[in-house]
Amino acid sequence: MSLQNQDAAGRLKGVTVVKPVIYGNIARYFGKKREEDGHTHQWTVYVKPYKNEDMSAYVKKVNFKLHDSYPNPNRVVTKPPYEVTETGWGEFEIIIKIYFNDPMERPVTIYHLLKLFQSETDVMLGKKSLVVEYYDEMIFQDPTTAMNSMLANTTSLGIGPYKHETDFEEKRERTKNKISNAHSKIRFEMDQMNEKLKRAKDSIAKMKKEISKLEEGATVDAEPSL
Amino acid sequence: MAANMDVRDILELDTGQTQNDFVTKESLMTEGKKKKVRKLDAGIKRPEGMHRELWGLLHTDSRYQTDAAPIIPSDSKQGYKQMKARIGSSRVRPWKWMPFTNAARKDGAVFYHWGRVADEGKDYPFARFNKTVDMPVYSDLEYQQHLHDDNWSRQETDHLFDLCKRFDVRFIVVHDRWDREKYKEHSVEDLKERYYNICNTLAKVRAPGGSEPKVKAFDAEHERRRKFQLIKLFDRTQEQVEEEEYLIGELKKIELRKKEREKKQQDLQKLITAADSNADNRKAERKNTKKKLQAREPKEGGGLVSSAEPGGIKFSDFKASGTSLRSQRMKLPATIGQKKTKAIEQVLEELGLEFNPMPTEDIVNSFNTLRQDIVLLYELKLAMSTCEYELQTLKHRHDQLIANKNGGGSLSSYLMTTPTKVPDVQSPTIEDAAGSNSQDGIPGSPSKRKLLVDTIDVVGTGSTPSKKRKAAIEQINVLKKIKQKI
Repeated sequence: MSLQNQDAAGRLKGVTVVKPVIYGNIARYFGKKREEDGHTHQWTVYVKPYKNEDMSAYVKKVNFKLHDSYPNPNRVVTKPPYEVTETGWGEFEIIIKIYFNDPMERPVTIYHLLKLFQSETDVMLGKKSLVVEYYDEMIFQDPTTAMNSMLANTTSLGIGPYKHETDFEEKRERTKNKISNAHSKIRFEMDQMNEKLKRAKDSIAKMKKEISKLEEGATVDAEPSL
Repeated sequence: MAANMDVRDILELDTGQTQNDFVTKESLMTEGKKKKVRKLDAGIKRPEGMHRELWGLLHTDSRYQTDAAPIIPSDSKQGYKQMKARIGSSRVRPWKWMPFTNAARKDGAVFYHWGRVADEGKDYPFARFNKTVDMPVYSDLEYQQHLHDDNWSRQETDHLFDLCKRFDVRFIVVHDRWDREKYKEHSVEDLKERYYNICNTLAKVRAPGGSEPKVKAFDAEHERRRKFQLIKLFDRTQEQVEEEEYLIGELKKIELRKKEREKKQQDLQKLITAADSNADNRKAERKNTKKKLQAREPKEGGGLVSSAEPGGIKFSDFKASGTSLRSQRMKLPATIGQKKTKAIEQVLEELGLEFNPMPTEDIVNSFNTLRQDIVLLYELKLAMSTCEYELQTLKHRHDQLIANKNGGGSLSSYLMTTPTKVPDVQSPTIEDAAGSNSQDGIPGSPSKRKLLVDTIDVVGTGSTPSKKRKAAIEQINVLKKIKQKI
């Protein structure tokens, strides 16, 4: 940590810390509609670190904003695991706001569409719970000195193997390949199109020339039919 | 009381007052004052301290109920207003039945009229309005030397000048009074032309050497055409008026489209250069795959800068300090249009890619460049369709010219029946321009593969060629009609 990089606001210029996170929800079907309130699913929405670490070192609290029809829809979680478990019958957008220990750092907002339904019949039967989770990265551009040290000094959550439901490593490789394939396709077509375009331009020029030649001839015997 | 006095005066009744020739200001004012004072006494006074506005309201209200409003303004002196002018209050000037002569008349006839005594013996005032036109007169010699015209005999010319003199060069009247039994009919323009020509010739002949005489400008040919046009304009039928309006509307549309196309044409050059530079970058990468990463890196680093080139997408710059999410850097900027967004989505779908892939740093970067290139491709396609359209239009123009050359009087019918075949002239077509790509020897059997470009819907311009052809023919017909009209 070099102090000379610190600016007036106490930020470390040129330092970027990236913290990957996983967010999403799991849902389990009751198997039938519950009599009292018509709820059909139990679900849990969560935010967790991609790597095995204790986020509470730098996260002050996580605010889950549920649908307004839930009693006190703003659920605040201050300790890991950052998650909210509820029952319900419908899907809606949950606003997840992550506040940091240093009030100088603005909170990060994630929007997650709660997913309950899947066409697979075994999920409908309540045999297997549904998992929908996404990868994202929190980027701390020029963090404050305090924040930087908090980000650096994290402890692991547990000793057990830390795993996610989705294999993000595999997914990343797949996506990368797909994109680079797509890119080469697009570039090939761009070349082709460009060639085509150039040829079209040439023929337009040729055509124009020919027309002006014809027009010159035509003006001589142009009809003065007025 | 002045009115009263007038009535008495007219009826020649004795006024009972001492005869006073002058109605003086003082007498009028004192009389008014007397009356006003009486009126005020009759009314109710405003209570002390009451606001004027309120009193005004109350007062008028009470007057409505009890008393009618005064017909004549009762208060003429007080207040800020100036005294009004009193017309007819001065001494009466006598009139007299008297004879007069009009100086404009040559015969000296005497008429009678009422006139003021003071004006007796003065000239008839309206005589000054009798203006005469200064007309040149030619002698026999001058006529023979300078004024001879094959269309006009001496008698006719004399008759013209006689009429002009009589009717003060009012050519419409002259034309009306023209002696059609003796002389042949001339149009108003003919008359004018002859008259002004003579005037100008005489002016030139008589002008002292060296000085430039003032010439009356009259363009008879122009006048004839102008009148002819006006008559034509006046004689139009309702259908013709409607057709003209329609044609003008069409012409405007055509011109608008033409302008648009020209603008696109200008963009096209930029686009081609942009695509070229992209291609060059890539070739460099291919050559040294080892250096690929190094070559990519600076591009990636300055990616946000280079994306400012025409065609690409400018992704927002996350240089500000603070927290953010990686996925935010994949967001398409709001400035990108709906059409482009749609095109991107269409291509991504065709490629089987997610709209929001997993946002790691390298994926976000490559995904953004990918979408930039998609937009570029979209714009290339757009430009291509513009080119195609222009080529079609040019082709039709070409065909038309050929048809004209081949003595095609019935041009439109020719176009209708054989819209595309121009057998004797080789003309470049779109097929020439675009058709050869299958033989280009590009790896990966391009002719079989479904092109991604085809999934892009170039909305608005993406009509079928036949439709375009029709539009082009229509356009030519409209232009032709307009030409005929002019």
